[in-house]
Amino acid sequence: MSEDLGAVVDEIMKSVEGDVSREDVESNLRKFIDYGVPVEQAKQAVIKKYGGKQAVQVVQKKLGEVEPDDRRLSFIGKIVAIDEREVEVRGEKKKIFRGLIGDETAVLPFTAWKDFGLEQGEVVRVKNASAGEWGGQPRLNFSEWTEVEKTDEQVDLIKRKPQHYDIIDLKPGLSNIEVKAKLLTMEEREVSVEGTIKKVYTGIMGDMTGKIRYTSWTDFGIREGDVVEIKGAYTKSWRGAPQLIFDENATVEKIDEDIAISEMSKKSIPIYKLVEAGGGVDVAVEGVVIEIQSGSGIIYRCPKCNRAISEGVCPVDGEVEGIPDLRIKAVVDDGTGAVNAVFNRETTEKLTEKTLEEFRGMNDGEVEEELKNLLIAHPIHVEGNALSDEYGVTLIVQDAEMVTPAVEQEREELLSKMEVME
Amino acid sequence: MREPALRVFAGEYNESTHVLKGEGEKTPSYVITPLGAKVNRLFIVGVLTDVENVAQEGEMWRAHLSDPTGIYSIYAGQYQPEPAAFLSRAETPSYVAVVGKARVYEPEEGTLFVSIRPEMMKEVDAMLRDYWIVEACKHTYTRMKAMKEAMEMDPPSVYKLKELGYPSLIAEGVVEALSAYGDVDIEHYQFLIKEALAHFETGKIEYMKELGEAEEKVLEIVKKCEGEDGALWDEIVDSGEKEGMERNLVEEALASLMDKGLVYEPILGKLKTT
Repeated sequence: MSEDLGAVVDEIMKSVEGDVSREDVESNLRKFIDYGVPVEQAKQAVIKKYGGKQAVQVVQKKLGEVEPDDRRLSFIGKIVAIDEREVEVRGEKKKIFRGLIGDETAVLPFTAWKDFGLEQGEVVRVKNASAGEWGGQPRLNFSEWTEVEKTDEQVDLIKRKPQHYDIIDLKPGLSNIEVKAKLLTMEEREVSVEGTIKKVYTGIMGDMTGKIRYTSWTDFGIREGDVVEIKGAYTKSWRGAPQLIFDENATVEKIDEDIAISEMSKKSIPIYKLVEAGGGVDVAVEGVVIEIQSGSGIIYRCPKCNRAISEGVCPVDGEVEGIPDLRIKAVVDDGTGAVNAVFNRETTEKLTEKTLEEFRGMNDGEVEEELKNLLIAHPIHVEGNALSDEYGVTLIVQDAEMVTPAVEQEREELLSKMEVME
Repeated sequence: MREPALRVFAGEYNESTHVLKGEGEKTPSYVITPLGAKVNRLFIVGVLTDVENVAQEGEMWRAHLSDPTGIYSIYAGQYQPEPAAFLSRAETPSYVAVVGKARVYEPEEGTLFVSIRPEMMKEVDAMLRDYWIVEACKHTYTRMKAMKEAMEMDPPSVYKLKELGYPSLIAEGVVEALSAYGDVDIEHYQFLIKEALAHFETGKIEYMKELGEAEEKVLEIVKKCEGEDGALWDEIVDSGEKEGMERNLVEEALASLMDKGLVYEPILGKLKTT
């Protein structure tokens, strides 16, 4: 079999620099092909052998067109921001660079896995980058195989358009957020930042989907009860829950309309959303109790510091006369996610229809039995504030009730949905 | 992060032949079902049909739990003391709720048996069993919709599914399932859901109980009012309503008593006990 490889050899010759003979290239190429290597791969192998530049098929895109999972991307962009950090990769410390790169269509976050010598404000031509996904938007990766070169071209950065979010969808680490919400509470405080006194406004805002804690570092002349449209805010994790922050880079506009506020006591959210948000203020979820954890039932608290104590000894205050209290630590799971739920004495008494005194008349085994019988495998509606830590999300329950499922109604609804599907 | 307990029918779970093995200690493993459930932990409610100690020595309980679409295998040994103790005393048949971890047994390449290692087992009532069926239908339906969307994408994309509003777990599971199993027989799962929805118990059982109690009360009423010529239909219904029964229920009970021959109608509109 003797294919005509002339055209392929021509292509290789173009990619290879220096003094290389056509004959050598062709015989090398032929060798690969004789081994059954497909022509395209053989071509790349020969180019590599002669030290040529890999003729990777690159996809030229504007940043606004980049989608997660894109490979072999090529684009020109301006480094908007860059930040060096150390990470551990397979036990080894490695320096990586994170930042933002933009063109006239978008500004995207990137991670450079080696030092390309990038500097803020530079315009670069990037070849053979890839894209992943983070927080619902594409994130670029510059790897070992990515080529980056400086260029004199001008890039006018897009004026980033804020992205509108419902409050339920806010999670820590988002930026350039647009929300429309009502300021449910507002407190004014003075804090000292690097020696100067600044006013800071904090509180809780809400829309139809949920509520969130906010902090404003600028006096926008807004008040409790106002409905506002905020553009250019960002989120951070604060005490285990997302917080919305806006400062002088944001615009805040008071709107002359009232909006409905989520009445969480009626509407629960899927648990995975709460887990993704890493907590939340005044949220409600509905799920099945799948575990009652140890430390549930009668506990004793230190009269001085209120910590739970064991065997009459407080870890801080030493030997004390403990005050009896009641609580339940449970796992509530709705099939999309799971949260730890901590019920205080009041909610425990409400759910069990038994008082602390009645529980004190039972032994530990009986208390455990009682709680398991009542709660395990049973659907429950819980409301409160949710915080996250390394073990997941914990809901501090403010109110709870057992759910009597509307089985028949849900069945009808499902049947009619199924009919639509067919 | 704690793995959620998925609601997956036996008819879907048992068809699984693909596993995503976690690398390292902290990464969990998942059974991927053909419809894209990414299962590490499950919550199921079904009928406990049989329990057997299959260990040569010591304890290894094997139990079967039936749902409207199939049968789960459950294994509990000495390291699951509470479920093992529950199974050693459990009566069959009974409604049982199980929270457990997905387990696989691969006797040879390409053959995979899935089972459940329970973390918690508890006997429950018919209402919770029906509730579970509805929940499992809802979750299966969501995956089915996501799968349909994914099958129309080229290539199927986790990101695009998430943009459509599906949770990560479903988006990832569905895309993984499509690449592992190829096309999915959506109709099969529509059929599973319909089968399951036809399977309700609560309504039936409770209604029969209610009707039985109503019959007793109505029979007493008839006896009290019948006199020589029998009791008036309307009088019986009124008395029944005064005792807190729905009008329909009283009439149903009367019809049922007549079917059973405990009450008859000597003259039109009047009733007597036999």
